[in-house]
Amino acid sequence: MSTRPRPPLMPPIVRRLVRGLGMPLGSVLLAFVLGGLIVAATGGNPFSAYAALVCGGFGIGCTQGENPALQISNTIVFVIPLITAGVAVALPFRAGLFNIGAEGQLLAGSIACTAVGIKFSSLPAPILLPMVLISGMVAGALWAGVAGVLKATIGAHEVVTTIMMNYIAQWLLRYLIIGGPLQLAPGTSKSSPIGPGARLATILPNDNSLIILGLPSSVFRVHTGLFIALAAAAVFAFLLWRTSLGYEIRAVGQSQKAARYAGVSVRRTIIVTMLIAGAFSGLAGAIEIAGVDHNLTDKYFSDTTGFDAIAVALLGLGSAVGIVLAAILFGALHAGGAVMQADANISGNLVFVLQALILFSIAANFVGAIRQRIPGLGRPTALPPEMPPAAPLMTEAAAPPAEA
Amino acid sequence: MSALGDILHLLLTANLWQATLAAAVLLLLPALGGTISERSGVVNIAMEGMMLTGAFFGVAADLAWQNPWLATGVAMLAGALMASIHAFVSIQFRADQIVSGIAINIFAAGLTVFLINRIYGLQDVGHVGQSALLPNINVPGLDQIPFFGKVLFQQNVIVYVALVLLVLTHLVLFRTRLGLRIRAVGEHPQAADTAGINVFAIRYGAVFTSGLLSGLSGAFLAIGISNTFVPNMTDGRGYIALAAMIFGKWTPFGAFVACLIFGLGQAIYDNNSIIHVSPYLLSMLPYLLTLIVLAGLVGRSTPPAADGLPYVPGSE
Repeated sequence: MSTRPRPPLMPPIVRRLVRGLGMPLGSVLLAFVLGGLIVAATGGNPFSAYAALVCGGFGIGCTQGENPALQISNTIVFVIPLITAGVAVALPFRAGLFNIGAEGQLLAGSIACTAVGIKFSSLPAPILLPMVLISGMVAGALWAGVAGVLKATIGAHEVVTTIMMNYIAQWLLRYLIIGGPLQLAPGTSKSSPIGPGARLATILPNDNSLIILGLPSSVFRVHTGLFIALAAAAVFAFLLWRTSLGYEIRAVGQSQKAARYAGVSVRRTIIVTMLIAGAFSGLAGAIEIAGVDHNLTDKYFSDTTGFDAIAVALLGLGSAVGIVLAAILFGALHAGGAVMQADANISGNLVFVLQALILFSIAANFVGAIRQRIPGLGRPTALPPEMPPAAPLMTEAAAPPAEA
Repeated sequence: MSALGDILHLLLTANLWQATLAAAVLLLLPALGGTISERSGVVNIAMEGMMLTGAFFGVAADLAWQNPWLATGVAMLAGALMASIHAFVSIQFRADQIVSGIAINIFAAGLTVFLINRIYGLQDVGHVGQSALLPNINVPGLDQIPFFGKVLFQQNVIVYVALVLLVLTHLVLFRTRLGLRIRAVGEHPQAADTAGINVFAIRYGAVFTSGLLSGLSGAFLAIGISNTFVPNMTDGRGYIALAAMIFGKWTPFGAFVACLIFGLGQAIYDNNSIIHVSPYLLSMLPYLLTLIVLAGLVGRSTPPAADGLPYVPGSE
């Protein structure tokens, strides 16, 4: 009998890669398997459903004559606000704050962007475009700032306050465009369009006669907001790892007590973190108006971008690259949902089921639990240590953070 | 007449208060569920999803069997099954309870529409006939009392059930050994465990109960107040219930007072023909009021000490 330890099944470098990507990829895989079982259990064909989803999301393997380039363009349109709002959830995570108010902040941003874009509609683009984007950021920052100030001064839990602010924003939006000052005309539920100078250009020329990849180039809605979103992700990474504010945010997230001893003002950091997060969410809303819709419509009543952003931030493990990758996944799912509905007769709402399953899997670390039972992989690594789970916050919620 | 006079006139009608109580009960049931769950130390923001699930399965069962009582049972069970997922991942796997709660809400919203599509195709879900709805019951004799008879004794059967459950929840939480155990587990699970209380069992039971109550509320909404299921028909009521729970400082009667205030807002909203304020602005009130309470303007609202903390046996 040999007592030698068994050699590992995988070389170290592969093992490290698996550990880094294992949790998110495993969670997605698990969600798709469970989702497939739900489809099969209700008499559907999961393989044709997923094939249509992949076609709709990535333009690969389409059988019903979908244009791959158009599908990718549609996916990117979804990805743009998901990256920007994902950052708005991930940044407070680093400070130990759970911002589930990205949706309300996003709506506040889209409302402000629209109001300014209508009011100053005659201004030229070089002035008006920055104006509408900045006003969206300011509105989002104020919306999140309420939660930040309440948390920092009296310890009101930010999860509850941001939920309340979400609904206040939703009802404000309905008021404004149904009977309120932004309503286009009686009987409609939309605002007038923003001025031409307030719009983000599409990446391909908006020209019906120009044919690109078999379609007029004007149908490709992918717009220059993509670069703003990528810049937002870069700013997030720079802020977090290369500035003293980022250090303070991470310090507060690891231990408020330790941060306080290190001379960090916990209250100030909490408020500033929420303000910046709100600015990112507000920017996401402003980009949606300036880049896609050009006016507020009832489509925003059922918008879920701010909630999808929570899944994006968690699946992306709170890193900039991870957020972009996770946003691509969820953007593809949302774009693919429509095709799945049309081609495979499976409701596009399966996408929300998959999203929820991914969230369950990440939150419970099912992958870690499964991996524990597989030899050769060693002990599971949970979330990266610099990303604190939100649960311990609950105890600190009872007491306002004291200043040293 | 002046707007103030209009409001005063409206406040004196029995119809308004009858509607207020019904609207309050719709919120009270999930608020009681949330209170029980959080008293045991499990944060529950999933009442919205559990209500929605209950509403869907209640309608589906009622359409299949034409029996509102059976349908209500199915709705409660469906809500409790959703709650079990929340309990399983957050108690067993020590998942973040807020993430799990959000996931339940997204899951319920997606699954119900997905199932409509699988079961009913592109058609509407269909309408439940009058005879298969949860009935209104007039209490003989008492319903003839001027004003109060209409408000208190001409109500849907679920209203009476909910008021009994309100008193029962209060008594169980604060007057029984079980209630003491639930609160002990929510305040200091380590100490409770040392005292021989099964922390996991208490928490599972509490979360399961929150699902039963939310499912019951979903049934009341779908086959009592309404007669069909439409996607996202709870429209944030589960979150208003969450607000009521906090507003009521994690006590059953406190939550009931909050539900009455929010219910009054809903009833005024429904009678908006004489009050010239946008119904959408009125709808903001529950959330604004809760923010004001949270801001400490009406006394502090503090959750149970171990609310949201997974219990690890043997930990400090």
